[in-house]
Amino acid sequence: MEKATRKILLMGMSALLILPLGMILIWSVTVSWPFPELFPRELGLRGLGAILQPGAPALESLLTSIRIAVLVTFITLGITIPGGRALGIHEFPGKGFIKIFVLAPLMVSPVAIVMGIHGTFIRLGITNTELGVVLIHIVPVIPYGIRIFTNIFELVGDQLEEQGKVLGAGSVQTFFHITLPTIMPGIISAGSLIFIISFSQYFPTLLIGGGSVRTFPLLMVPYIQSGDRMMAASYSVVFIGAAVLALLAIENVLKLYYRSGTGIAGVFYSGK
Amino acid sequence: MLQQTKSSMKPYIYLFPVLSILFFVFTLGLGISILQSLGYYPGIGLQGFTLQYYREVFRSGAFFSGLLFSFKIAMLSSGIAAMIGISLAYLLVMQRKEYPGLQTVLKLPVIVPHLVAAFLIFTLFSQTGIIARLGMLLGLIESSQQFPALIFDSRGIGILLAYIWKGAPFVFLILYQVLRSIEKDMVEAARNLGASGGDLFFRIFLPLSLPSVFSSFIILFAFSFGSYEIPFLLGPTSPRALPVLAYIEYINPDWTNRPYAMAMNMVLAGISILLVWLYHWIFKHYRYFRKEG
Repeated sequence: MEKATRKILLMGMSALLILPLGMILIWSVTVSWPFPELFPRELGLRGLGAILQPGAPALESLLTSIRIAVLVTFITLGITIPGGRALGIHEFPGKGFIKIFVLAPLMVSPVAIVMGIHGTFIRLGITNTELGVVLIHIVPVIPYGIRIFTNIFELVGDQLEEQGKVLGAGSVQTFFHITLPTIMPGIISAGSLIFIISFSQYFPTLLIGGGSVRTFPLLMVPYIQSGDRMMAASYSVVFIGAAVLALLAIENVLKLYYRSGTGIAGVFYSGK
Repeated sequence: MLQQTKSSMKPYIYLFPVLSILFFVFTLGLGISILQSLGYYPGIGLQGFTLQYYREVFRSGAFFSGLLFSFKIAMLSSGIAAMIGISLAYLLVMQRKEYPGLQTVLKLPVIVPHLVAAFLIFTLFSQTGIIARLGMLLGLIESSQQFPALIFDSRGIGILLAYIWKGAPFVFLILYQVLRSIEKDMVEAARNLGASGGDLFFRIFLPLSLPSVFSSFIILFAFSFGSYEIPFLLGPTSPRALPVLAYIEYINPDWTNRPYAMAMNMVLAGISILLVWLYHWIFKHYRYFRKEG
C-alpha cells in the first residue's frame, strides 16, 4: 500500500467514526425537522435553554452528577495509589492472587454485582443516598486505578523516595514532594478515566439511587426512549461538553499546580 | 530487599482500603447473587440449596435466545471493533507523523457515554434517521417503512453498531501506543531486510501486538456481554439481551422470581470468567510457542 492510500484510508475511517457526532450537535439546535427533509426546517436554542436555565432540574442533576463523580475520583485515587504502590514495588505472599482479584470487576457484569448487593444496601439504609451511589460507582473503576498505578510504581520504583529519606525528608514531605509529582501523569490519566466512567453510569445509579439520586444520565434516558431527538441531543451535547471541560480542568489544574511548585516537585515534573 | 524484612506488613496496609471496599461491595454482592441463584434467600423464606433455578432457566426459550443474542452481539461487536481499531493504529503508525488533532478527536467516542452512543445510532439508522432520509432523496426508498429496521430489530444490528462505534477508538488508543513502540524497534531493520508492507503488518505488527489485541477484545466482550443500557435502549422485545432479561425478573413484584434473575447473572459472569481463563491459557501457550519458533 502506498503511503498516500494509507492516509486516505486513515482519514476516511476516522471521519466515519467522528462525523456522526455532528448529527447530535445539529439536533441539539433543531426545533423542527420533519421526515424526509435533509436539513432542519427551524433552528433554535429551546432544547439547550430548557436544560441550562437557572433552577432547571437538569442543571441540578448535572451538579449532582459532577459532585458524585468528583467524590468517586478522589476516593478511588486515594485507595488505588497505595494499592498500586504495594503491587508495583513490594513482593509479598498472596500478590499474584490479589493482582487478579482487583481486576475482577472488569469481567463480572455490574448487573450481577448491583443486584446482589442491593438488599444489603437497603438494610444499611444507603440506597436512595449519594453515599450508596458513590460506593457502587467505585467498584468498576478500581481495576483501572490499580492497573495504572501498579504500572507506574513498577517503572519508577522507590529509589527517589529512598534518596529523599536519606537526605532527611519525613514521610509527609516525601509523599508530597517526591511520590506525588513522580506519579502525576498517572494521576491525571487515572483521574480522567475514573471521572468519565462514574459520570456515565446509568444502571447502578438507577438501582442503588432508586430514583432519589437524580444524576444527569437518569434524566436523559426518558428522552432517548421516547424518541424526543431535540431534548435527547441537547442532553447529549451538555453531557459531552461538561465531560470535556472536566477533563481539561483535571489536566490543567494538576499540571499548573506542579509546574509552579517550588523545589524538586516543579523541577521533576517539568523535566518529564 | 532490606525494607521488606523490616516491615513485611506494609504492602497489606497499603492494600487494605481498596481490598475492603472490593470485599464489601464486589465480593459480597457476587456472593449473595450466587447464594440466591442457588435458592438460598432467607429474606423471603427460601432456605434450602437447589439447582432448580438453573435447570428452569436453562429450559426456558427466552433465556436461550437471550444468551445466544448477547453472546453473538458481544463476539461480533468486539471482534469488528478490534479489527477497525488495529487497522487505524497501523495506518497512523505507518504515517510516521503524530497527527495530535486526529488522536484527540478519536478519543471522543471513548469519552461519550453509552447512552449517547445509543442515541447517536438511533439518529443515524432509525427508519426516520439521516440515512433513511438520504435514501429517500436518492430515490432508493419511497417511504420510511421501506428502510430496513436496524433499530429494535431481532438481529440486534443497532446494538452492534453502537458497541462498534464505542469500541473501535478504544482499541485504537491502546494499540497505537503498542504499535508505535514496535515501529521504533523493528520496522527500520525489517525494511532493510526487504520486508514489504504486508510483511510488516502480518509478520511483525500483528503477532507482536496480539496479546494487546486480545486483552482489549476481552475487555470489550465482557463489557458488552454484561451491560444493560444499550440493549435496553436499542434492543427488540424478543429476543432480549441477558442483562435486560435478568433485570425484568429482578423487578418482578413477586420476589420468588429473584433467584431466576440471579441464575441468569451467574451464567453471564461464568462465561466472562471462562473467557478470561481461556485468554490466560492461550497466551501461556502462545508465548511458549513463540519462543520455540
